[in-house]
Amino acid sequence: MVAEGIPELVYYLGFITVNTLALVVILILLVSPRDKKPTPVKRAPFESGQIAVGRGRTRFIIQYYPYLLMFVVYDVVAMFLFAWAVNLRTLGAAGTIPVLVFVSVLLVPLGYALHLANRPENW
Amino acid sequence: MVDLPPDPIQMTIAMITSPLFLKVAIFPGLTSIGIIAAILTWLDRKITARVQLRIGPQYVSPFGGILQSFADLIKLAFKELIIPEKADRFFFILAPVFGLVLGAGLIALIPFSPETLISNVEVGLPVFLAFVTLSPTLVLLAGWSANSKYPFIGGLRSLFQQTGYEIPLWLSSIGVVMLAGSFNLTKIVQAQSTGWFILPQLLGAIIFLVTSVAEQERIPFDLPEAEPEIIMGWQAEYPGFLFLAAQGAGFVKLYAFSALFATIYLGGYLGPGPQFLGLFWSLFKTTIMIVLVILLRGAFGRVRLDQLLKYGWTLLLGLAIINIAITYFLIEGFPAI
Amino acid sequence: MTDPAFLVVAAVTIIGAIMAIEARDLVYGAAALGISFLGIAGLFILLDATYVAAFQISVYIGAVVVLILFTVMLVGPAKGEAPMEHKRASLFAAVLVSMFLGIGGSLASANAFPGVEVCGSGCDLQILSQTLLNNYGTQLELLSFVLVAAVIGALTLAKTEKA
Repeated sequence: MVAEGIPELVYYLGFITVNTLALVVILILLVSPRDKKPTPVKRAPFESGQIAVGRGRTRFIIQYYPYLLMFVVYDVVAMFLFAWAVNLRTLGAAGTIPVLVFVSVLLVPLGYALHLANRPENW
Repeated sequence: MVDLPPDPIQMTIAMITSPLFLKVAIFPGLTSIGIIAAILTWLDRKITARVQLRIGPQYVSPFGGILQSFADLIKLAFKELIIPEKADRFFFILAPVFGLVLGAGLIALIPFSPETLISNVEVGLPVFLAFVTLSPTLVLLAGWSANSKYPFIGGLRSLFQQTGYEIPLWLSSIGVVMLAGSFNLTKIVQAQSTGWFILPQLLGAIIFLVTSVAEQERIPFDLPEAEPEIIMGWQAEYPGFLFLAAQGAGFVKLYAFSALFATIYLGGYLGPGPQFLGLFWSLFKTTIMIVLVILLRGAFGRVRLDQLLKYGWTLLLGLAIINIAITYFLIEGFPAI
Repeated sequence: MTDPAFLVVAAVTIIGAIMAIEARDLVYGAAALGISFLGIAGLFILLDATYVAAFQISVYIGAVVVLILFTVMLVGPAKGEAPMEHKRASLFAAVLVSMFLGIGGSLASANAFPGVEVCGSGCDLQILSQTLLNNYGTQLELLSFVLVAAVIGALTLAKTEKA
């Protein structure tokens, strides 16, 4: 009922996850030394010696946001391209036309996004 | 008559000696991944050192310091876990751990030889790429969870870099799928018995190499870990063995991507000689790719983030689409390929 | 007896979705949503559609959850803001969702479209892509226009007008 290879993959991933988590738990609980009297500066954020001021989650480089959006869109495009590519020999030229139109239509938002990206004044 | 339950000791012995368990636990599974990741950290330092006219690790064992990484492993395991006070502990600890699991998962799909393949999924290549796509999520969570400026900036840079180079990675591997007519990695290797795919796919192979080095955040794409600038980027606050997990995940990904390149472009386990040498050939080709990627570290400077993203989304994406077009015309013109 | 694998995967999906809505910290909610999507990918795998499952993981978890996380981290809730309670709206939403589930469930059952051949478990990628590209080419183009509209709309709404 399930495709070939999936049970082995699930078994393998489960095995690795269980072992890694067990190792981490053992390391945290048993192996790592504890500090009985920690000083406050030990747990402060590390900035190579200077004292950290302000929030920890600052500058967002929002001018690259269009790249993230295009990633989502082209992820979907890649899905259809893969579906087309695997059957290219049986589909031939007739099946390629919808994919060709699909990709070229989606080059338009890519151009718009590239135009907008990396210009901080737009954001 | 009631059946007696099977003897638990016998069941355990049967499970341990079953071929699947041996593959999962020993090779190419957990134990071998750990050992190979340790050897690769040493190899990376040694080759980079030689390129830079240094000596590299040399003290820990008689042969070139090869046990250095095991010594580091033991040292890091015994370090105190200092978690920053405002950090989000759940994601801080789990993100690098799942990064390791993800990298290890990639290895399960690679056919090192027809017998030592853990998982022969029919859609092997998309599953591999799906695992790769999970990595930016984990790095974003890791960078955010430390609640400290430099890890967060590093995490964001890594997010944009990895998502930006993921699409050219996928599109360049589409050429291989077109030539082989299948997603199954074993069938892709078999389809190369008439000729390795690197020849008709030279452009695609180069794009794949460049984008996979960017995915692994290796130099020249190591902006998210820029050591002189933002300490270690998203790994900056990671203590002890969590740092080990983050670094180890990087080297497991190096192993996985090099093995994938060897499988889809260099013919995997195909090679002259008898059938059982297949494992040797695939490991040999993987090692060549690993050494090539490590050599890139010594040769190049670092790419700036805005240049990196601009060229990733324009030049590499365009070249990948051109590669698809070239492969299309190759197949239409020469159906024998 | 239903398949235990199905029960586990369905439980993961539902619990992930509940945690995604009820979580206090939005980042945890987004991560729980990711787990829920993983459960949906598991459902696809159990239906022998591994290709769809692989792309479910990369598109939904790898791209959509990343976008959600990015947005949540950028525009987190203001400090001290309590989650709002809307009892009457929740009841109305529950009724609406049950209606949609009923409609969707009946459409998805095998008796919905008599005369159309349902692709059983022998359905593989070849038939899928041939059907998609040969018979549904127009729908593919419409899908691309929807994507174009969505992207251009999102970018236009998000950017600031020059002063």
